[in-house]
Amino acid sequence: MSVADQNTRDEARGGLDADRLLTLACVGLPLIGLILFFAYPMAIVFLRSITVGESYGLGNYAEVLGSSGFWRATRHSLIMGGATTALSVLLGFVIAHGLYRCAFPGKWIIRSVIVLPLLAPSLVQALGLIFLLGRNGVVSRALGVEIEIYGFWGLLIANTLYALPQAVMIIGAALVLLDARTYEAAEVMGASPWRQFRDLTIPAARFGILNAAFVCFTVTITDFGNAAVIGGDYSVLATEIYSQVVGQRNFNMGAVVGIMLLLPTVISYTIERQAMKRQRAGQATGQVAYRPSFAPLRDLSMASLSLLICAGIVGVIGIVVYASFVKLWPYNMALSTKHYDITLAGGYSSLWMTIVISLAAAAGGTLAVFLLALGLRRLPPAVAQPIQILAAMPAAVPGMVLGLAYILTFNSTATPLYLLYGSAALIAIVNFYHYHTQGFLTVMTGFRQLPQALEEAAGSLGAGLARSARDVVAPFIAPMLVSVFFFLFMRSMVTLSAVVFLTTPDLSVAAVTIMRLDDAGLTSQAAAFSTCVMAVVCVAVLFMKVTLALMGRRTRAKGEA
Amino acid sequence: MYLTVCDATKTYGNFTALDRVSIEIEKGEFVCLLGPSGCGKTTLLRLIAGLTDLDGGEISLEGSPLSDLPARKRGFGIVFQSYSLFPNMTIAENIGYGLKIRGAPNEEINARVTDLLALVKLPHLADNFPGQLSGGQQQRIALARAIAVDPRVLLLDEPLSALDAKVRAELRDEIRQVQRSLGIPTLMVTHDQEEALALADKIICMNHGVVVQAGTPEELYHRPATRFVAEFMGISNLLSAEQVERHYPDLLATRPSSESAYLACIRPEQIGVTPDEDGMSSVRSISFLGNLRRLEVDTPGGPLLVETHGANPCQEGTRVSLNIQPHACTWVIDDAAQHATSPA
Ligand SMILES: Nc1ncnc2c1ncn2[C@@H]1O[C@H](COP(=O)(O)OP(=O)(O)OP(=O)(O)O)[C@@H](O)[C@H]1O
Ligand SMILES: [Mg+2]
Repeated sequence: MSVADQNTRDEARGGLDADRLLTLACVGLPLIGLILFFAYPMAIVFLRSITVGESYGLGNYAEVLGSSGFWRATRHSLIMGGATTALSVLLGFVIAHGLYRCAFPGKWIIRSVIVLPLLAPSLVQALGLIFLLGRNGVVSRALGVEIEIYGFWGLLIANTLYALPQAVMIIGAALVLLDARTYEAAEVMGASPWRQFRDLTIPAARFGILNAAFVCFTVTITDFGNAAVIGGDYSVLATEIYSQVVGQRNFNMGAVVGIMLLLPTVISYTIERQAMKRQRAGQATGQVAYRPSFAPLRDLSMASLSLLICAGIVGVIGIVVYASFVKLWPYNMALSTKHYDITLAGGYSSLWMTIVISLAAAAGGTLAVFLLALGLRRLPPAVAQPIQILAAMPAAVPGMVLGLAYILTFNSTATPLYLLYGSAALIAIVNFYHYHTQGFLTVMTGFRQLPQALEEAAGSLGAGLARSARDVVAPFIAPMLVSVFFFLFMRSMVTLSAVVFLTTPDLSVAAVTIMRLDDAGLTSQAAAFSTCVMAVVCVAVLFMKVTLALMGRRTRAKGEA
Repeated sequence: MYLTVCDATKTYGNFTALDRVSIEIEKGEFVCLLGPSGCGKTTLLRLIAGLTDLDGGEISLEGSPLSDLPARKRGFGIVFQSYSLFPNMTIAENIGYGLKIRGAPNEEINARVTDLLALVKLPHLADNFPGQLSGGQQQRIALARAIAVDPRVLLLDEPLSALDAKVRAELRDEIRQVQRSLGIPTLMVTHDQEEALALADKIICMNHGVVVQAGTPEELYHRPATRFVAEFMGISNLLSAEQVERHYPDLLATRPSSESAYLACIRPEQIGVTPDEDGMSSVRSISFLGNLRRLEVDTPGGPLLVETHGANPCQEGTRVSLNIQPHACTWVIDDAAQHATSPA
């Protein structure tokens, strides 16, 4: 062996070690974060739920299970969850079927309207319903009827509007899996459109519908904003936790209710993940996209139904924007901007703070999930698998529970983590871990589409982990990262449930301010503040679209060159 | 005439995918639609199936026009290139689906499914789902499903092209057997000339949305009408009229007219080659292709390809003389003059 050979081999080995170190750092840092800011707080909630005085025991559970208030809230949550799920899956199927299996113009309108509820804090639906159907609502006054909107029906509509976009997306994703050839084969075999719908479309959407049902159920029973604003006396588990913790300062009881709320969400999340796997295994992706041809009866009815639902969404959100400009709802409908003078202490400072927090959560979060996903690829499956499961767990935890876990963990002087309490950083962190799963899974999907061969080719050309990450991997999954960044930003802008426990008199976020304004009876100012938040989020969406379009064009240009 | 397509025209925007195409299929006939990618084969097949609307012309079955009949009322069978089995139905349900739609009693469906599974040699897969089958198995099932309802016409759109060479050859023979034994008039799209030669009673050769030539495999191979067909149907030597006049004048006898737009087409296996010390030509290179050898021979009139079977005494550099019989030469129209490519 020549000296030169020896040198290159040593170098190679040195490179390998540096590589391994980098892999460890990639996985290690995000993993420490997950443990410190997710697993540890969750363990604390659990411990607190079984803490009775100075010792451990099931006393709290006994007390909660013995209280009629808890059972009422549970019953309400389950009924509300079930009703919302049924309604939003039904409507979601109608819209998804219209979008992907029918032929009519103007689908882009439906596509853009349907995501509107995701761009606003969940309490905006509730606010909108109050402006429409409340005692002073336009509809109630026009018809001269008293509608009791606070309570079950108001909450049902608000929750349905909020869950609908997700139902449409999930069911739509299942519908597009069916190849055009499959339908054509059925057509040539003599199947009527109705039979094709019954024998092909419905079975194909089965897992999607199941999946959507679980997501809608989880979203509904964990949502706090709508319940707080329009729930009225209809107490649900989320509001129950809030009143235990904020109203009665009874942290241990709050923890117990939190653990109870965790049960159904964990179960439904687990089933949903299984359903998703089955769906993916069931069918190769469509080779030729299905292009429906015009069938008047089917298409006109589907189109008008979809448009009707969209009109409802636009109405509910639009009325909030409109009401924010009305001088004195409903007595003086002249337009003015006076409600944009926020009179609550702090004014707009919480809006700016929320933007800063959201940017931080988005930037830090995107980096963290990217590093984690990148490092996981290089670990043996036996090690990677448990980490992957941990990384996918936060989605099963309701925001309320996570927020409660944070206050229990970080508001205790037992550890140096106390330093974070009351800081904007902690709010950014809770937001990131609240939405960790979606971000992580998106990047993992991106990585799965990255051809292994590409990375191996870079590796065989001598590129180490750092180099191949920068030159090969990053450009390939950059669009994914952009999506994750804006997803985290937008969710952080509008989320309420996790942060509601972590705000202090000096440090608030936008969604909490809206709730406070509404609580204080300043409904028009709440509408104005909501409008500002929606404007920021819409600008973010615009930025995302432009960035993705530019990136698309650049890669295409490169591809052609 | 069983199925006739008369002057079928299809345009997408201002692109003409099919330009006044006419074809005919007899009862029990196996017809291959052959042509390069993008020439409109699939479009024509879909028009016949009723999956795409005609822009002009007419399609009729046993004399009655099909134009107003939607695809599902035509009673045809179709097999696509891949991925067309119903993913949520078992193999047996897939095959029986057409009969079920027609309201056949369950016993009849079961009996028919069993027969067909035996016919395509996959009786053990009845209760599997399509996702659990290999590509070749899926295509067999797709074929069984298409013939389950005794279709009036069987349409196959490159059913073999997604399969590997060995499975392909096997399945090719099976399709032929099944079609022969049931006598279903069949139209199969392919861009593989070997496949077409092996299977078809009649080949319809298309290019740029028009039919260039239709005939038996023999006719298309040995009597191509145009340069495009000659080149598409296999390797050939194409010589201009001047070359022939100068070097092989006795071939001129068969020339249809003295126009120079005609080229002489000579298949390489039609040329006799013998070692000859005084020969005017010499072997430049030899490629061994298993059952035959292909020689590239330098002649005074330019290089020619020659194929020989069995033992051959020629080496690279051997001087040889060539023998071309007048009847071995076909005169073809030079329809590809603008992008002249000669076989290497
Ligand atoms: N829906 C459509 N819209 C626009 N152009 C189309 C459409 N379908 C087919 N074409 C065009 O018509 C031409 C013929 O297409 P066709 O699919 O019939 O080709 P083909 O002969 O089957 O090719 P291949 O061997 O690649 O399958 C192509 O140039 C194609 O781009
Ligand atoms: Mg084709």
